[in-house]
Amino acid sequence: MIPLVSFRLSGYVRSHRIFQPVLGLLAVLSILYATGVPAGGELPSYSDSAGILMLVFAWAARGLLDTEPDEQRLIAITAVGRRRELVAGLLAALLLTAALALVAVLFPLFAGFAETPGAADLGYGAGLHVLAVLAGTTLGALTSRPVLASPAASAAVLVGGYLAILLLSSASPWASVPVLDWMNAAHHHELPDRLVVIVASALAWSAAGLAGYAAVRQVRG
Amino acid sequence: MRATNVSFRYRRGDPWVLSGASLDLARGAVAEITGPNGTGKSTLLRLLAGLLRPVKGRIEERPAVIGYAPERFPSAQPFTVAAYLRHMAAVRRVVVPEELTARLGMDHLLGQMLPDLSKGSAHKVGLAQALAGEPGLLILDEPFAGLDATARAELSVIVAEIAARGGIVVASDHQGDLRAVPGVTRYEVRDGKITEAAPVFEDDPLTTLTIKLPRSKADVLAARLRAEGHEVS
Repeated sequence: MIPLVSFRLSGYVRSHRIFQPVLGLLAVLSILYATGVPAGGELPSYSDSAGILMLVFAWAARGLLDTEPDEQRLIAITAVGRRRELVAGLLAALLLTAALALVAVLFPLFAGFAETPGAADLGYGAGLHVLAVLAGTTLGALTSRPVLASPAASAAVLVGGYLAILLLSSASPWASVPVLDWMNAAHHHELPDRLVVIVASALAWSAAGLAGYAAVRQVRG
Repeated sequence: MRATNVSFRYRRGDPWVLSGASLDLARGAVAEITGPNGTGKSTLLRLLAGLLRPVKGRIEERPAVIGYAPERFPSAQPFTVAAYLRHMAAVRRVVVPEELTARLGMDHLLGQMLPDLSKGSAHKVGLAQALAGEPGLLILDEPFAGLDATARAELSVIVAEIAARGGIVVASDHQGDLRAVPGVTRYEVRDGKITEAAPVFEDDPLTTLTIKLPRSKADVLAARLRAEGHEVS
């Protein structure tokens, strides 16, 4: 499976499609950290970064999964089997979005934070980006070509889905991936207390989304 | 490998592409799938390859190692021919034999980018990735389309070799090149069913051809001609 993951990532990078999410990532980071973050504001900034970048991660995952032509996907399925081909695609997308998230976590340490955050805030910030990576990759997979064949419909559902997640997450942490909830908790210094619910909700929604993606792929190939 | 009472349609409410179709393929079988355009030949090939699931019926005893060459090779990929074959060989955990690219006449293409290839050259890449790794089931969708005469003859020989090794070869073939392979069975897809077609006997008198060539090359040519179904003495 690792050679197929490598093949998918290599094709994505060589196609130059990677520039799209990288430019989106740099734009978001520039806006977030252009004026600097005073001491004590690191975790709220990380929570905003994770929440906003979820859209960039979704775009990147969708781009990676859609880079491969449909016939090549069929060739890969005959080579490694349907399940492994699906898992290899998701793994490649997760590796890509995790690399983007790593840049997002490290960037403000060099340009943005007035002071280096403590280990706890750094850990919480990285953890929130992991949740955004999982949720974003799931949203990207659910809007990729095997699920939504029309590029226009796919782009509309991706952006619309992200906005719906934001709106629903303002109602309850269980209503969708709790993006606004983790931003709110980080800004009010309540993240440690609400972390269990936030992590459980984000993992449950991501798992449900990935199960849905696998179910659709089972039928459509 | 056996397909039993297979029915398939792409969406509920669509007409059935295949309806109660059955096909029995023993080890070493070479099946030529014929039929008019749009009757479901490619659909049948994808069902046999495991890329589609029958809506009704079942396909059993499919060999583990499958080679699949689609009708149109997806050449819109940012790799050279060599890099693509290297990646696909790694994915299949095999090595592409150097002689395979030579036999298909594509050694000079190895450094070219896939999107720059002509249709026939791209088709050779699709064939090479499918043939690598000694497939137990080889599915070829219009394998001879766009190939030059040398590659067509060589592909017939390769198919015969795979069958001689016990592999099953199933190919749709509008041009009839597969009939050069000994023991090929023709099946026709029509009205959702698969029927065994009568063998083609061409009303063509036999003649004797004398060839002068270096002694060192005689055995190779004789083997090739025998694989193509000719009498060699």
